[in-house]
Amino acid sequence: MAVDGGDLPFAGGLLALLRPALDLVPAGGVVALLSDSASVREDVASWCRAERHDFLGTDEVAPGRFAHRIVRGSLGVPRGPREDGLRLPTEGGRVTASSMLEAVPFPAHADPGSGFAPRGARVEPGGPAYPFDLVDRDRAAPPEVARLYDQAVAAQWDATKDVPWSKVGDHAPALERAVGQVMTFLAENELSALYVPARFLPRIHPAYAETAMLLASQMADEARHIDVFLKRARVGGAGVGVSSATTSRSLLSLLEVGDFTEAEFLLAVLGEGTFLDLLRFVGDHAPDEATEVLVTRARADETRHVHFGLAHVRHALSTDATLYPRLEAAVRRRAATLHDAGGVPAALQDALTVLAAGGTAPRAIAKGHDAFRELLDVMGENRVKRLVHAGFTQAQAETLSGLHTANFM
Amino acid sequence: MAPDPTIVLGAVAYDPKVVTIWEGIRAHFQRQGVPMDFALFSNYERQVEALLAGHVHVAWDTPLAHVRVKRRTNGASLSLGMRDSDRDFRSKVVVRKDAGVRDLAGLAGKTLAVGSRDSTQARILPLHFLKAAGVDLAKVKLLPFDTDLGKHGDTGTSELDVLAALKDGRAQAGTIGDLVWVGEQAAGRVDPARVEVLWTTPPFDHCMFDALPTLPRVQADAFRRVLDGMSWDDPAHRRLLEMEGLRKWMPPREEGYASLTAALDAQGGW
Repeated sequence: MAVDGGDLPFAGGLLALLRPALDLVPAGGVVALLSDSASVREDVASWCRAERHDFLGTDEVAPGRFAHRIVRGSLGVPRGPREDGLRLPTEGGRVTASSMLEAVPFPAHADPGSGFAPRGARVEPGGPAYPFDLVDRDRAAPPEVARLYDQAVAAQWDATKDVPWSKVGDHAPALERAVGQVMTFLAENELSALYVPARFLPRIHPAYAETAMLLASQMADEARHIDVFLKRARVGGAGVGVSSATTSRSLLSLLEVGDFTEAEFLLAVLGEGTFLDLLRFVGDHAPDEATEVLVTRARADETRHVHFGLAHVRHALSTDATLYPRLEAAVRRRAATLHDAGGVPAALQDALTVLAAGGTAPRAIAKGHDAFRELLDVMGENRVKRLVHAGFTQAQAETLSGLHTANFM
Repeated sequence: MAPDPTIVLGAVAYDPKVVTIWEGIRAHFQRQGVPMDFALFSNYERQVEALLAGHVHVAWDTPLAHVRVKRRTNGASLSLGMRDSDRDFRSKVVVRKDAGVRDLAGLAGKTLAVGSRDSTQARILPLHFLKAAGVDLAKVKLLPFDTDLGKHGDTGTSELDVLAALKDGRAQAGTIGDLVWVGEQAAGRVDPARVEVLWTTPPFDHCMFDALPTLPRVQADAFRRVLDGMSWDDPAHRRLLEMEGLRKWMPPREEGYASLTAALDAQGGW
């Protein structure tokens, strides 16, 4: 390996040629620095000493032109193979996260000492250990994550203008208050769905950055949902309603889960899965087009969150035989702390009934009440289906579903 | 009562980071089961006296302090180790490009900025080697920067003063250590259109851990072994080594101090 430094001195940019040339040879490899500079001839040994390279000597290869032979030192050489010959496909003008993951697969385990170095970077040894504890692929990064991230990025929407806000219209005060109460409950739950993944994101090793990026997109989704639900409550004139102590206790028990897989299971599979049925119910009975559009859009986002939760739990279950009992224990623990929580919070149950009734006429309320009871059944059935899809047996699915909080999330 | 086995090391506090360095190295010694503590001095003269009086067991000495300890103990002192960066140190004669100094003979009649009178690399040895190379120092006007006296050049301040004097034209030439010179160049703080290197001295060695010959062999061996266990690739050691300016501790050697001894014999300064 040779590099031509021309007449550049060390103070004049020579290092931008010499250091990359040395980086291309392994420790012990020799670089010949060709130079016409008298000052380089004077300083090359000192520079090698300062950088712990070995200076072998200088040959005059032509009058006034020298070859300084430098052996690359062995201290601090970055570890890992050089990313040579890697070229991502750009089919149709697109570069996806999925093709990136295919080209640079997740390692089975990641070293906390590599810090924020992107996956594939050569890492200089001696850096500090970072406080990442999600350092195993099977616990942090299901194979579907990059594809779900691509989908999430493509499906972002704008809560300010992508909802036909002018079509909220005027509703009877009792119906509008019911909408406000439902929106309050939805926003409260989405706040928990914003905060819960935020606790895990900084624990994920950057080798599994796609998971952190997906969680970031989910958090952006939740932020938009919080925004859109509160806007709906206030555009209609009734404002937000009540936050119940039951809901609060239930969401706190979710926030306090310390294990990523358990939290994904409780939040995404059980909680957001159940939320899908609730959003469908609200959309089916929406009193106006704006409400229908916003819950439909929110539901599409939540469907992706559930898919990630299912993929995560399915992958973890298939690689860890001890996981099922731990998940069941987590659900049981949560159920135990909520044992006196009763059923669906009264204010929410009443609001859903009035919403489904489309008003407060007693005959309509009877239908609304039937619709609400049917919702609970649908939620139970779909939860079992989702659990089976996640890799649980039918019996396990029924056990877990039966233990799930009546507070939906 | 058994005697206290703690090795007490003296170091000069030339910078606040010295506390961090030795707190960290002490923790490393303790993890290795070798009790060590340190005492800080404000100058090397006081530290040398403390070593000779037995108040500390080991002194982390500049080359000037090292040769003084050698002489005061009639050569009996123990040398325990040095940094990789202490070996084959050189000094540089740097000149302004507009001064028309093409070789060492051209220094005659010029102003030569030099570092502190107790700095081996910025004053004592470059003047010694220039004289040996035939420069008549009586014909050169010295512009001395006696900053941080007692620190023996550790702070590097007088070397930066020399470079500043070259930059603003108070001097046409100056003497500094090679690590400061290549470091300032690499950092982009040297204008190559204005300043360039003219000459490089022969190599000499720099700092050394000194001990009295009364230091028990077992303690001397433990001291060397534990130092040697520090690794550039270990995050816990890396910061300490960076701050102390080395990547690897090395065994001692004495031949690198012959030029300094000769310089002090000729110039005075013992």
